[in-house]
Amino acid sequence: MEAAVDTSKFVKFAKLEDVLQLGRAYSLWPLTFGLACCAIEMMATGMARWDLARFGTEVFRPSPRQADLMIIAGTVNKKMAPAVKLLYDQMLEPKWVMALGNCAISGGPFVYPGQYGIVEGVDKLFPVDVYVPGCPPRPEALIEGILKLEEKMTGKRRFPVAKVQE
Amino acid sequence: MNPTVDQLCEQFGRLVASTPTDRCGSGFTPDASVTHGQDVGDKPRPTPPAPVQKVDHAAKGYDLNVSVAPGQVVAAAEILDRTGFGLDTITGVDWIAQQEMEVVYDYFHPAASVRVAVRTRVPRAEPEVPTISAVFPGANWHERETHDFFGLRFRGHPKLTPFLLPDDADYHPLRKDYQP
Amino acid sequence: MIAQPESLQSDRRGPPQETFVLNLGPQHPAAHGVLRVLMTMDGEWITRAEPVIGYIHRMHEKMGENRSWAKFLPNTSRIDYLSAMHYTHAFVGAVERAAKIEVPPRAEYIRVITSELNRIASHMVWWGALLSDLGGLTPFLYAFDDREMILDLLEGLCGARLTYCYYRFGGLYNDADDDFLRGARAFVKHMPPRLKMYRDLVTDNIILRKRLEKIGPISADMCRKYGATGPVIRGSGVAYDVRKVEPYSVYPKFDFLVPTFPEGDSMARYLVRMAEMEQSLRIIDQALDQIPAGPFQGKVPRVLRVPPGDYCYAVEAARGRFMVRIVSDGKDVPYRVKLRTPSFSNLSLFEEASRGMILPDALALLGSLDLVIPDIDR
Repeated sequence: MEAAVDTSKFVKFAKLEDVLQLGRAYSLWPLTFGLACCAIEMMATGMARWDLARFGTEVFRPSPRQADLMIIAGTVNKKMAPAVKLLYDQMLEPKWVMALGNCAISGGPFVYPGQYGIVEGVDKLFPVDVYVPGCPPRPEALIEGILKLEEKMTGKRRFPVAKVQE
Repeated sequence: MNPTVDQLCEQFGRLVASTPTDRCGSGFTPDASVTHGQDVGDKPRPTPPAPVQKVDHAAKGYDLNVSVAPGQVVAAAEILDRTGFGLDTITGVDWIAQQEMEVVYDYFHPAASVRVAVRTRVPRAEPEVPTISAVFPGANWHERETHDFFGLRFRGHPKLTPFLLPDDADYHPLRKDYQP
Repeated sequence: MIAQPESLQSDRRGPPQETFVLNLGPQHPAAHGVLRVLMTMDGEWITRAEPVIGYIHRMHEKMGENRSWAKFLPNTSRIDYLSAMHYTHAFVGAVERAAKIEVPPRAEYIRVITSELNRIASHMVWWGALLSDLGGLTPFLYAFDDREMILDLLEGLCGARLTYCYYRFGGLYNDADDDFLRGARAFVKHMPPRLKMYRDLVTDNIILRKRLEKIGPISADMCRKYGATGPVIRGSGVAYDVRKVEPYSVYPKFDFLVPTFPEGDSMARYLVRMAEMEQSLRIIDQALDQIPAGPFQGKVPRVLRVPPGDYCYAVEAARGRFMVRIVSDGKDVPYRVKLRTPSFSNLSLFEEASRGMILPDALALLGSLDLVIPDIDR
């Protein structure tokens, strides 16, 4: 008779929801939604040097119906706000929002007493999951934002935090 | 043949001399001492400089400064169109202390190193200037933007609706008395 | 109305039976930004294309009136973030002209080197974006690779990758060290083989030629009437470059050409920009040879008050003629800051130029105009 095999090494149990969430976190599909300067850094992050694709966010979809992460990269204007809200509403659940750059977080450098044109932070329109500060944030900051979002979604961070070399 | 500053001086001189100056406004450039918030009635107006002035490019950035009456802006644009100039920009300046608005037309020449600034002043209560978009089609957008920011009306403009501001905007933000 | 080549004109006889309005934007995959174009279409052909702008209007001109002269400098980088150095140069130059501030020669040379590097970086983004609009997604990766080299140099110099605020009134805020000068020299050697590769693989590519040749003809007179400058007017046969016609900074000391192509179509504008990059490399090379030692900042009073009057300063930005007109009333806050941006004038001719075109050709025309939408909306 053969010895009993210890299956716990290769059979794991988990909630289905957690497994699906892992799949969602590691294959976020961003919406191509660059508004201003931060869009260029978002494009640079998708390019060969910083390569956002290796974190799963490879497929930038132009249609909100096919995207699940909306990266607001740039200033949201009072004229543009209804369009942004419409795009957010068109995205299907589950969806996440990243506010990239100071303008999306709080209006950025364009806030002054008596300003007439911009929405001071995109979280005045809809809930935001990750805030990435900077003007514009470095591509590494955007990648860190994606990793933080993954940590928010799955509860675990997949890459170690970079140590500062003294 | 590239136009020279002297030729333009001569043509503009004839234009300015030919029309009565009943709606010329105060006509002076901001070189005369101008301060915020000073009531016009307090002190006598400085004498206006000549309406057609040659200017040092290195000091100011343009070569010829022409002050015309509001009704003459189209004729000025036609002179510059005939001599091959291109439209650089049109903008407004709100001189609230003198209760006037100034409209500045900048022109550049693609070959000659000559830059011309044509300016006119209108009363703030009645800010209307004829449109030059028949001469320079590019003026269409510049005038629409100037209307957006200052409320300046361009008589004859095909579409003076909000451009940079939201479609339902009824405010003119670059006016000095604008309150959000 | 510009005559269109016969093969692209509508083959319907008589007026269209039914038109519809197609709304392009303000969010669309063509990486231009938040531009909305309302196109009245007769099938595939555009009868009228009306750009609607203002979706990224960020109140730059109003902000110029409520902060001091120096505090406006960060705004200048954000008007057109792809060629931010040029825009800061224009504002700084206007104030220096007005307040008669002397700029030391070393600062002028470094300004020219950084401006020309910025021009190449901007053209690389334009090139990648145009190709990706036309369907070629690979050149974008190569373009950004070269761009990253430039950005590393500029980051080592002033700490920022995109929105530099490097120029100050009277000079610069930081001197260029040997690392930067060596790196710039290495970049000047690295780039020509890359440009040759792009020429062989992309410019001479039959698909690109078919997509851009004879598309979107713009005549020189149209450019003049609409105020279109930069590669748009140089692609229509007029050699108008602010660096030659209204020289500023130390550009008269350099020997460079102004590439001009007479055809007026999108291919001409494309070739102008590709040739401009080579000329920029020439300028950087000469500037690196000629750069003197010395101070990098001139004398500027602590609280800067500009004499009353109005002053202009124009530069040749990557997209065309950028002019700043400042009106001062003697205070330490400007009375009026007018920003004359090239993309605004360049886009204004789109309505007339795109009549009778089919939609993909109109997008190729938009790409060849090289627009940055915050440049239009300010």
